[in-house]
Amino acid sequence: MAIVTMKKLRLMVARSQKDELLRELIRLGCVEFSELEIDAQALEALHRPDSETLANKSDHAALLHAVAVLDRYAPEKKPMLSAPPEVDGDVLLDGSELGAALALAGEISAADDRIKRIGAEESRERAVMESLVPWLPLDLPLDVTETERCSVLLGSFPVKIPPDKVREAMAAVTDEAELFEVSADKRASYVMIVCVKEALPEMQEALRPFDFTAQSFPGMSGPARQCSAECGTALARLAREKEACEASIRDKASRRDALKLAADRAEAKLTLSEASDLALSTGDVLVMQGWLPAEKEAALEEVLTRFDCAWETEEPSEEEYPQVPVSLKNNKLTNALNMVTEMYSLPAYGTVDPNPLMAPFFILFYGLMMADIGYGIIMIAAALVAMKKLRPRGGSLAFCQLLLYGGVATAAMGVLTGAFFSDVPYQLVHLFNPKSTWPGLWHLFSPEYDSELVLYGSLVLGMLHLNTGMVVSAREKIRRGDKAGALFEEGSLWILLVGALLMAADMLLVHSAALHIAAIAVLVIGGVMLLFGAGRNAKGFGKVTAAFGCIYNTATGWFGDVLSYSRIMALMLAGGVVGKVFNTVAIMPAQSGGVNVFTMLAFVVIFVLGHAINFALNLLGCYVHDLRLQCLEFFGKFYADGGKPFRPLKFGGRFVRAKEN
Amino acid sequence: MEFLNTIGGGALALLGAAIAAALACVGSAKGTGIAGEAGAGLVSEDPSKSGKALVLQVIPGTQGLYGFVIFFLAFNKVSASVASLTVAQGLQIVSACLPIALGGLLSAIAQGKVAAASINILAKKPDDWTKGMIMCVIVEFYAILCLLASFLMLGAINI
Repeated sequence: MAIVTMKKLRLMVARSQKDELLRELIRLGCVEFSELEIDAQALEALHRPDSETLANKSDHAALLHAVAVLDRYAPEKKPMLSAPPEVDGDVLLDGSELGAALALAGEISAADDRIKRIGAEESRERAVMESLVPWLPLDLPLDVTETERCSVLLGSFPVKIPPDKVREAMAAVTDEAELFEVSADKRASYVMIVCVKEALPEMQEALRPFDFTAQSFPGMSGPARQCSAECGTALARLAREKEACEASIRDKASRRDALKLAADRAEAKLTLSEASDLALSTGDVLVMQGWLPAEKEAALEEVLTRFDCAWETEEPSEEEYPQVPVSLKNNKLTNALNMVTEMYSLPAYGTVDPNPLMAPFFILFYGLMMADIGYGIIMIAAALVAMKKLRPRGGSLAFCQLLLYGGVATAAMGVLTGAFFSDVPYQLVHLFNPKSTWPGLWHLFSPEYDSELVLYGSLVLGMLHLNTGMVVSAREKIRRGDKAGALFEEGSLWILLVGALLMAADMLLVHSAALHIAAIAVLVIGGVMLLFGAGRNAKGFGKVTAAFGCIYNTATGWFGDVLSYSRIMALMLAGGVVGKVFNTVAIMPAQSGGVNVFTMLAFVVIFVLGHAINFALNLLGCYVHDLRLQCLEFFGKFYADGGKPFRPLKFGGRFVRAKEN
Repeated sequence: MEFLNTIGGGALALLGAAIAAALACVGSAKGTGIAGEAGAGLVSEDPSKSGKALVLQVIPGTQGLYGFVIFFLAFNKVSASVASLTVAQGLQIVSACLPIALGGLLSAIAQGKVAAASINILAKKPDDWTKGMIMCVIVEFYAILCLLASFLMLGAINI
């Protein structure tokens, strides 16, 4: 349980064998390629071979898009929980059927594009139909804008303007004009105005004060009714075409699995081409560099001896540590905590793997905050079902494991606090037998009645947690040769802590003068050491500010950190209280109306709904607050983050998994 | 004091229970409303995200629940003796109800804003939407503390 030791790999391989070598390495799944480090002079002799990455990327995207389209038009019916199928690595590396799959994907995408265009055409036709509605009563063809002597104007007024007023204004211009009301709706009245051609400009001027909006129908011939019917025909044709396109996509649903496999094959091809992009070529020979876990060297050697290649590995020097990718070596228990570590940031190479230190605290704190036998059982069951059905790997596996261990701790703490869906056993027993004197499930402590005890317990656990972090920090400092740092920073705090404990023992338990003096002496030694340590690297007046800074940081930092653990008690109590209230509400109908089918049905409904809400809230809330205690308080004491994750060349398909060796 | 006596302890106690439920519920209504507006905008573009948007929308709803829990406990405590409560007892109940009333009101609105912003994460980076959820839950903690404060105070009142 530590950070995996990495070795730097340098590799030269004949160009003709490169593809085959990379295929072997992706099967092996333990080498991460990186940019070649090489001096400028040597670089001149090398060049980058042509890259196929862009083409591979677009193939991969096209296949993924086709799968998404297929899923949209012909959703796949599959059981809710199922693991993706597993195939041999060779199947994923076989590119022979990729061409056919790409052609199929092209057909699916083309049909999808056509459907989108049909959608646009349909809305255009609908808009035209809409605009024709007011003109349906008009028999005049819409393309008639003039006769031999007259001009014809189509348009609308706001509905509040009475047509007679417009007629008056028109009469003032010329007698040879007429206004025909075609139709009216909520917003406007639609009219046709006919006037002699000579009077048209004046007429338009006269109409302007009435907000007359002229309307024209370019490209349309015949009366509105006929145009509208034509739109209707076009819409029907488009709907038929759309249906045909959708049917053609649905017909291809039988080849969905082939398409998915092809998408993952394209992904493997893309991964390989990205790796080979990192190589530099002399013409016939390719030079590559990368990292591999030291323990996999024998396996790599076994593969490489089959090729015409030269290679060497070496331990990274300390200056190279920031470039070394980080992988954590975990067992089944600590693997669960990868979720937390990876979300925060991996530890820097050459420092401490926090997972084994964090695991017992994380799981214990989670159990304490959730503390309910019923909730614990649900979590364990959910985790086990998911692990069996989904056969998760990587991040999802860590999540399931965390859920499982958290569930075990929750149930165990539930036994200690006597909580089973809060206090439902107590409530039910007293419902059926009101005279019962049963006090509820056995408990060691109850968050509701011993809340002070639980609070102090939380703070003590917090102290333990923080001190574990400090032990790690001190050990790391000593390993790096900074013994003074460990003595003055962690050491002086521990002396202060011992002093404080002595003082507490004196005040609360023993009351002895000798102990009192000893406690003060220890506190003074600790204080002086702390101040000296803070000022030891500063000069002149800097020593004073450093000392004040140290007092402030130690006092506020430590108190803040320890008090922060009170959230353990707060969440433990809150979950219990909310659950208890739901139980009380659920049991009320039965209490007031007697035990019968309806009141018990009401009990079940309220109980299930209420606890579902409380469970979901606590599941997330406890995780977040546990996370905070680890990442802020605990990591703050020792953690050096900034490791970049180890991403070896391996299969990473979305739909199909490669069998693990 | 005489004025308070004319009102009576029972009325004060009921007032406390009422503000616990009412203010916390107003906060939740506002919080879920803010998140719901953002969620509706997203769902109009991408209906497949409605489930996740809904989860983010309901997060600021818990304060109303906490308010109701305290209302329920306070009401249960005083319902049998409304007529005989002293003014002091009534004011004790009001004080006990204040944390969740005010904390619930304000934290739900604040959480609603975070939830609305998290819906943006859901829109732009759907894979990272759970991080938004975590940010919402951090606001939740203060509502939980208010719930506990009210709960512990109610427990200490003798009637």
